[in-house]
Amino acid sequence: MKRILIVLVVAVALGGLFIFGLTNTSDDRDIKSNKLDKPVPAFELPLYERYQSNYGDSLNLKDYQGKPIIINFWASWCGPCYQEAPELELAWQKYQDEALFIGIQTQDKGKVAEGEAFIEQFDLSFPNGLDDNSRIGIEYGLFGVPETFFVRADGTLAHKHTGPVTMAVIDEQLRAMQQ
Amino acid sequence: MKLFVNLTRALVVALLMLSTHAFTQQVQLEQEVFEIARDLRCPVCISESVADSSAQVAIEMREIIQQQLEEGKSRREILAYFQTSYGDWILLNPPKRGLHLLVWVLPVVVAVVALVVLGLLVRRWLALSRERIDVDEAELSRVRQALNQES
Repeated sequence: MKRILIVLVVAVALGGLFIFGLTNTSDDRDIKSNKLDKPVPAFELPLYERYQSNYGDSLNLKDYQGKPIIINFWASWCGPCYQEAPELELAWQKYQDEALFIGIQTQDKGKVAEGEAFIEQFDLSFPNGLDDNSRIGIEYGLFGVPETFFVRADGTLAHKHTGPVTMAVIDEQLRAMQQ
Repeated sequence: MKLFVNLTRALVVALLMLSTHAFTQQVQLEQEVFEIARDLRCPVCISESVADSSAQVAIEMREIIQQQLEEGKSRREILAYFQTSYGDWILLNPPKRGLHLLVWVLPVVVAVVALVVLGLLVRRWLALSRERIDVDEAELSRVRQALNQES
């Protein structure tokens, strides 16, 4: 009787683990940012030429504190980045008076021409620059691309979105940051 | 002339010694970089350390480690730098605190429990083997008789 009970307990435990493994569908890459509710790292991003007349040769994050900032990390080799780029441009057109959008090309060393082609393809009008040595990405604890960081007006991180960002996500996060 | 030759020889030897020293230092530094990188998980790879990965981010992370070592930072400070960005996730050796403590404590607890159970079982088996077996005298003589007949 005792043995049957032990076998039963072990079988239930292993079965439970098996079912958990089968039903756990959360994305392994969707890891909570360690920067949540903390000030985001400052950076100076060298901008692509088409943005330099409006924002200068490089964009210093410190200069734009006081309003929400959406930082989108992308790469020219990244499929989902092509999927989200038009949505980002649309969102920028909608919210440019309320928030700043910054595009950071990262994990893409030396790919200036590819970066320019990407920007050209979607006619991105919000400032974009190349994080050539991926240092900004590392400072932000980036796992992959695309990832989008929603920064409050006080410079703290409100939310990190993993994967292609949509207008619905941007609407929701901006509303939450403005409350 | 002889003085010039001697001076040149001394200069060559000094240069060789200096370059050997610099080379040894560089090798030591690189070894240290890879030792620290072995403790860090590559954020864009699957089951690879920063030391093992050839991904651009891993290469950059190794450069950061080297720079920080050259600045005189300790291993703990460098690991803490990456932890600030990525949290405990980045560490391949989980820190000995909080829930992570289970990873370190559980194997020891399981080993101790297994040893105790094994000890108890061995003691029980030994006790059983030493136990006197009571056999009916009539039955014993019947078996002996049967064995004698067989032989």
